[in-house]
Amino acid sequence: MVFEDIYKEYWQKVFRLCMGYTNEYELAQDMAQETFIIVWQQLPKFRNESSIGTWLFRIATNSCLRQIEKQSRYPKTEMPTNLAEEQQVSQEPQFQLLYKFISELPEADRIIISLELEDVRQSDIAHIVGLSEANVRVKIHRIKDKLTQKFKEHGLG
Amino acid sequence: MDSGNINFKALWSAQKIEQPTLQNLRVRLDDFKKSNRKKIIITNSLLSATALFILFIWVYYQPQLITTKIGIVLIILAIAIFIISSSQNLNVLTRINEAENNQQYLKNLLVLKERQHFMHTTMLNAYFSILSAGLALYMYEYTSRMAIHWALVAYVLTGSWISVNWFYLRPRQIRKERSKTDDIISRFETIQAQLNQE
Repeated sequence: MVFEDIYKEYWQKVFRLCMGYTNEYELAQDMAQETFIIVWQQLPKFRNESSIGTWLFRIATNSCLRQIEKQSRYPKTEMPTNLAEEQQVSQEPQFQLLYKFISELPEADRIIISLELEDVRQSDIAHIVGLSEANVRVKIHRIKDKLTQKFKEHGLG
Repeated sequence: MDSGNINFKALWSAQKIEQPTLQNLRVRLDDFKKSNRKKIIITNSLLSATALFILFIWVYYQPQLITTKIGIVLIILAIAIFIISSSQNLNVLTRINEAENNQQYLKNLLVLKERQHFMHTTMLNAYFSILSAGLALYMYEYTSRMAIHWALVAYVLTGSWISVNWFYLRPRQIRKERSKTDDIISRFETIQAQLNQE
């Protein structure tokens, strides 16, 4: 596999994954670049034991997880009320809402749903995350319900 | 496939970003390599400068007693331990397989964090003990030529400086590191729990 091809094919996907995880444009871009730096360094070690996609998404999701080490110690406080938020939010395009809602999920759920929406097969998601396929399926179902609920609360969907 | 009538997949792929050129990524990679190389160079020159300085003392003042020589060797050793452990932390200890699945990766990260903390504490203890022993031995030759009360003053001053380091600065460093490690560990454990939730 040539790095250039991998980079072309997966850049958007990895960026979206990071964006779902953080919902911060600049940070997501940084994280995606860091992922590709690791990919570039590790590529000679890739042994075709899994598909290149699975391998790459493992690296990408792991670097999302490792973001915790770099973040400041105290997480940002949530917006205290929904009221002020709602006016502003309803003008946002729906896709931005989706990313916002995903980034508010627990970390593991963010990864699972991002992979699912990226059209990664559920059996591959299971390999990336390290859970059984059945377990992944159940989780995806629940996460989608949660997201639908959030959209409904915003009078959408 | 999607719940309700929202097409999540369509919304998801509406997020677009321009792809930075490969050139761009290369620049970043070079910066990364350069900063790593710089760190190694700084570490090595610090280490060599210290060692040279102490060797210079050895040659120039020609210590007579074996205690002084042992002292010098111990001081160099302590400084070496300190510099190497604080820079190698970046390399050897943080190396971890990036291509494991998330579950395994989290497990490895937890082990790694504990190991880092252990190394940090052990190295810090080793640094202070060896440095103190080295200083005490090194001083002996010169203080033995002083009047007894001046020799005492010299040892008391050095001793109290070492005590401040050992009883105040060292534990504070360790506590700070511990609470940072604990915080990160608990956040990794939270994610583990999320994954294993039925």
